[in-house]
Amino acid sequence: MRKLLAIWVGKLLTLAGHIIGKKSSSSPGEYALRICPDLVRDLNKYIKKSVIVTCGTNGKTTTNNLLCSALEAKGYKVLCNRLGANMLNGVATAFLQAASITGKLEADYACLEIDEAYTRIVFDYVKPDVMVITNLFRDQLDRYGEIDITSNILKEAIAKVPGIKLVLNGDDPLCVQFGREAGAIYYGISEKVLPQLDDTKEGRFCPVCGAQQKFNYYHYSQLGDFYCPSCGFKRPEIDVEVKNVSLKTPMRFTINGQPMEINYKGFYNIYNIIAVYGALEAVGESTDGFEGLLAGYKPQIGRMQEFAFKKPVILSLSKNPAGFNQAISTVNTDDRKKDVIIAINDLANDGRDVSWLWDVDFDKVKDENLNTLTTTGIRKWDISLRFKYADIMPDFITSDMKEAVLKALDTDSEVVYVLVNYTALFPTEGVLNELLKERGNE
Amino acid sequence: MDIKIMHLFPDLLNLYGDKGNIECMRKRLNWRGIGCEVVPFTTEDSGFELSDVDIVFLGGGSDREQKIVCRSLLEHKAELKDFVENGGSLVAVCGGYQLLGKYYKLKDETIEGLDILDIYTEQGKGRLIGNIVLEADFLKESDKLIVGFENHGGRTYINGHKPLGKVIYGNGNSDKCGCEGVMYKNVVATYLHGPLLPKNPVLCDYILTNALKKKYSDFTELVPLDDRLEKTANEYIVNRFK
Repeated sequence: MRKLLAIWVGKLLTLAGHIIGKKSSSSPGEYALRICPDLVRDLNKYIKKSVIVTCGTNGKTTTNNLLCSALEAKGYKVLCNRLGANMLNGVATAFLQAASITGKLEADYACLEIDEAYTRIVFDYVKPDVMVITNLFRDQLDRYGEIDITSNILKEAIAKVPGIKLVLNGDDPLCVQFGREAGAIYYGISEKVLPQLDDTKEGRFCPVCGAQQKFNYYHYSQLGDFYCPSCGFKRPEIDVEVKNVSLKTPMRFTINGQPMEINYKGFYNIYNIIAVYGALEAVGESTDGFEGLLAGYKPQIGRMQEFAFKKPVILSLSKNPAGFNQAISTVNTDDRKKDVIIAINDLANDGRDVSWLWDVDFDKVKDENLNTLTTTGIRKWDISLRFKYADIMPDFITSDMKEAVLKALDTDSEVVYVLVNYTALFPTEGVLNELLKERGNE
Repeated sequence: MDIKIMHLFPDLLNLYGDKGNIECMRKRLNWRGIGCEVVPFTTEDSGFELSDVDIVFLGGGSDREQKIVCRSLLEHKAELKDFVENGGSLVAVCGGYQLLGKYYKLKDETIEGLDILDIYTEQGKGRLIGNIVLEADFLKESDKLIVGFENHGGRTYINGHKPLGKVIYGNGNSDKCGCEGVMYKNVVATYLHGPLLPKNPVLCDYILTNALKKKYSDFTELVPLDDRLEKTANEYIVNRFK
């Protein structure tokens, strides 16, 4: 009875949220859990085939949603916390929204994105069959402490679920450490693709023995063909292997020899795609026609999302140094004349500490195709200062995103990039949609 | 004129954008036509030559990384102590600050420090995390507010040392103790991590001036720069907590 009440309250809150125009991805679950703490544990039993959890610093929303749409393309009914609310409340919301008012749930698969720091708690309620770990980068340090702490939380969480099948980024030593005892599936990119950036390599020290690792080649951050000269820990045999990469649009590469042509931007998306491939293998689903399975996927907002003004405005979300470095290198592969707008906030969900701005290679924003640079967001002064010390003075500093976009639209550039961190994303999307209505592509 | 900065273990101690401090010192020298060379010293380097070094920078890292650094630095304890006692400039941030003391007592072990400052650190309950504002009385009245971000589990007890500043907002050396960091000779040691200097250009110039005065006996003062952006960023944080 408590369970039914919890579901009803959650559903009513969702409905009320819709009426006032809120997305309600987390709060219905919060109240439902107060009424029935066992709600998730109970509903979890109705998943017919497998529960697949995706964790990792970057790419988890994309990977999780891509996996969900690939399974849906196969005709399955899939439960998914699609909006990226990835703590216990968000998971509870996804479950109760999928449940019927009689408390039953019909689903073949559950695809759940879980915040690394909350895996330990969530795994008390949900016992996943498969866990994908995309990568571990520095993220929101003031919330989690250091990367070692995150690693330890994940180890504890994994230990709570005997028999869990891991799908791991084989290029990331910090991910590979989790697969040392279990028979994991590893995915990786087995050739040098990008010019070697001098960015933060936080996992440069062997997670097993602490000695300095070496790389035969590396992609970015600590991802690459790594080995430890001291203890022998090294990049494992890769099960899902990418080669023959071309980053032009559409991207082309092969997965285990099969050619793929995919209309995404950004090298990092290859990792998201092959993580999905690995997860399908882990649950015993065929990967035949994989390219077609991806075709139905609509990227979430802010993943190099294009807005069709008279010139394209491309919105990109990054949450940490590795993400920003990747976004900047994607902007740099576009050789059109461009305006760049950068918004930095420091609300709780962004991380209150903006020190990481100094770990991003912002100096690379300045290339021959940069027209104007605008800084905005709550910490506009910090990001402006960061640019000043990289010898780039922002052309405009403003609190008003709308003004920033209007200015950029009026220049003679060919494209506008808007790079934002987390809490700046939804308001920026709102501004862009509103402007699109007002001005269209005139 | 030129200044040589030795960045200790940039490969290990680089947790919170520490390179912002190095960049800030370098740029503020260059903008005034003063040369600046930054030399890294890493775990792979042998020899430890401080004779031509003007400023030593020691940043912060995770506990694991700090232990590796400590093992390596203890071998050069005497050289570092001499450097400091002879008026060399040393900037130590967060984990680097803790290392300058006698010891850092963790839950189940004690890390021996460099014993350059008469201070010690003990792991406390929970971490002290957040924006912080200090009042530093050695800076001139209009610029004496230092802003930054602290994130540390250790509580540092500074005995008779003079702190870097009085805490206006935040925690500082330990829970609500009212003081933050240590100033000793030309050492500036603080928990304010990462890009401390860009938002506190007056503190940066204070450090640079000390180093220049030691190296060039006829040096008097740095020419002022246009610091409007730096000051706006500083005031923005101060005003949040008014």
